Amino acid sequence: MNRFDLQTWLPAIVLGVLVAAISVYDRGFLAPSNLITITGDTMTLFLMASGLTFVIMLGSIDLSVQAIASMASCIMAVYISRYGIVAVPFALLGGALAGAFSAIVSTRMRIPTFISTLAVSGVVLSFGYWFSDTRSVNIPAADRDMWLFWITGSFAGIPGEIWVGLVALLVLSALLQLSPFGRLVRGVGAQEQAVVASGINVDRVKFFAYVLSGFMAALAGVVMGARLGSGSPTLANEFLLPAIAAVVVGGTAITGGVGSVWRTFIGALIIQVVRIGMTFVGISVFAQQIVFGALLVAAVAITMDRSKVLVVK
Amino acid sequence: MTAPVLEVRAISKSFPGVKALDNVSFEIRKGEVVGLIGENGAGKSTLLKILNGVYQADEGAILIDGQQVTVDSPRHAFDSGIAMVFQEQSVLNTLTVAENIFLGREQEFVRFGLISRRAMNAAARKELAKVHLDTDPATPCARLTFAQRQMVEIAKALSLDTRIDKHITILLDEPTSVLESREVDLLFSIVRDLRDRASVVFISHRLEEVLELCDRIYVMRDGKIVAETPAKGTTVKELHTHMVGRQLHHEYYRESRQAKPGDTVVLEAKGLARHGAFSDVSFALRKGEVLGVAGVIGSGREDLARCLAGHLSPDAGTLSLKGKPVRLRGPGDAVSNGIGLVPAERKVEGLVGPFSVSENMTLPALSRFAPSGVIRFAEENETARGWIKRLNIKTPSTETMVGSLSGGNQQKVVLAKWRVAGVDVLILDHPTRGIDVGAKEDVYELIRDMTADGLAIVLLGDTLDEVIGVSSRILVMRDGKVQAQFDAPAAAKPTQVEIVGHMV
Repeated sequence: MNRFDLQTWLPAIVLGVLVAAISVYDRGFLAPSNLITITGDTMTLFLMASGLTFVIMLGSIDLSVQAIASMASCIMAVYISRYGIVAVPFALLGGALAGAFSAIVSTRMRIPTFISTLAVSGVVLSFGYWFSDTRSVNIPAADRDMWLFWITGSFAGIPGEIWVGLVALLVLSALLQLSPFGRLVRGVGAQEQAVVASGINVDRVKFFAYVLSGFMAALAGVVMGARLGSGSPTLANEFLLPAIAAVVVGGTAITGGVGSVWRTFIGALIIQVVRIGMTFVGISVFAQQIVFGALLVAAVAITMDRSKVLVVK
Repeated sequence: MTAPVLEVRAISKSFPGVKALDNVSFEIRKGEVVGLIGENGAGKSTLLKILNGVYQADEGAILIDGQQVTVDSPRHAFDSGIAMVFQEQSVLNTLTVAENIFLGREQEFVRFGLISRRAMNAAARKELAKVHLDTDPATPCARLTFAQRQMVEIAKALSLDTRIDKHITILLDEPTSVLESREVDLLFSIVRDLRDRASVVFISHRLEEVLELCDRIYVMRDGKIVAETPAKGTTVKELHTHMVGRQLHHEYYRESRQAKPGDTVVLEAKGLARHGAFSDVSFALRKGEVLGVAGVIGSGREDLARCLAGHLSPDAGTLSLKGKPVRLRGPGDAVSNGIGLVPAERKVEGLVGPFSVSENMTLPALSRFAPSGVIRFAEENETARGWIKRLNIKTPSTETMVGSLSGGNQQKVVLAKWRVAGVDVLILDHPTRGIDVGAKEDVYELIRDMTADGLAIVLLGDTLDEVIGVSSRILVMRDGKVQAQFDAPAAAKPTQVEIVGHMV
């Protein structure tokens, strides 16, 4: 029981310690405006990781999220000057379709999701290149102000992207904790055969989890594009590792069955604070992935009861 | 009296929350077959695992030939002359029979730096001959039946005999629970042959077998040894009494509550067949009826049960529910048509271990508890509480993780789950496998409750005795075909002899 409780609270404690450590270096760190900026900067990562949480809770993986985010930014950037706000649902639909495709490939052909999503990632990446004509696509400022104000604007002194993140946090948490779908995701991750034997259509559960993962990755891409004022086929490069790390660092088990969107929210904040901490200490941006990789391994080591895992594949 | 070859002195072992072994002492003499019995959770497996080096005792000592030893790994135990046949199979399916038997000892067959398969297979053949298993040692274990794999496991333990000079001890943890009577007889004759070279510790839930095979019996309850008795002159009833600490119900299978089946046919099979498993199976299952299916492994009854529950598809024949033909494309179709399966592998297909008691109970009918898309937790808990009370499930609360309950209570949760789903037909595949005597009686009681409520039941019993005692009609299968049918009203049960004649 002790171990369980520690696991639940450890991520929050780690976050607190990190924040405290940095604020010793820099008193200005705890200023409300600074905290708001940091939270805002975390939102794209959180959005991507929030959908991924459902997939990881199934005991599966989705390696296509960064490619989907990049593609979505391209779709949005190309269409927004032509069709206006419709570009956003278009981009989200593209992400959802990619997720659906991954799910169908893995459930119908019985291929491990590690492979199916890696393959779909390649397809989606190329699609993004083709769609954007391999270039970064600028979003005109007028279109941005007109259609993307809900991301780039500010409400009640808080940036739109934070509101988007908070809405996602609440909606997805409710979905996971309160809906039959959420419970079945947990059940599939914990003991899939028993869920199948209870007459549940498990393939459908997996399908919706992947659609959700693709959709949220696309939303992350849209928010990223809006913030930067452009879409690009490589926009979300180097987001995959931090996104998986955010889910796992938050305390969602990589083996499935245990986790929550709240934990991923904390996990994403930890990743962001670590990133800032590294800048303080003077670690090159290019070396940061080393730290994320190490963090991921450490988090899996802590959250998984490895004494019960007899073999590692 | 000969000196003990293996002795355990005042051993205690605790796990978080439970004292699994409390000051346990016992001894095994040369050439002796010792029975170890007790309800689930009494501590038998823990004791064996300590002897085998899987666990270490918190207190106490193990002595081999009067010398105190520490056994800190299965390999160490093996080298000290103790081999174990596990309750859950430890055979690796992707390896061949020979590779399994000599797993970890390949060095003995290395010629010029490579493993000589010929030498290994030849040696394996000798070991297989001991268990009368006529299988090519180069066969991958995945191709063997469950019972054959169990025999490989036993051969692996027996191989110790040719390897070590000293007297050996073999620990058999419920080796017979998956074997059919022919194989059990074979195993017993093997064990008897071994007596001049080995001592055997035998754990089984089947007390008749323990009485038949063993010289001396230890009875465990709640982590303690509560009785030690020579097998001769002891009866099953006495052993039962020691195990549960109370007198058994005089009417074990609750025959007096056996209902007369109704007239409505709920489930009807006509000419049902599945290639390589069974063919031309027809029966009509009535409301309130328990249809027992008897047969040895390979009779096709397991596959028949899985076809009825939608886990497998029949190749030919029709299945009708309440007069309407149905095709079951998966367990989902079966459940939506009101057919549930209580599987033999409770922890794999029966329950989601980390789910709470209430979450497991509502799993098949989850959408009913969330008409608006949000689960009604209060309603769910209330339903769960109702069934916990009705089935007398021992659990601290509805929120308790089902994996932490005892086997018998877990099985009751599986039954409750199908009651909540409101199924009309329940397929019971070895519903009392691996649960203790008290819980078995509860399950029989629950079967009677269900038939009284109008459910129709197909039962694949753990023992023939159980099939006869519980069923109102019995289908006997052999080699995929129905050989005979017996009516089994409470007052006029067929005898085992009558039925066995059609099984083998």
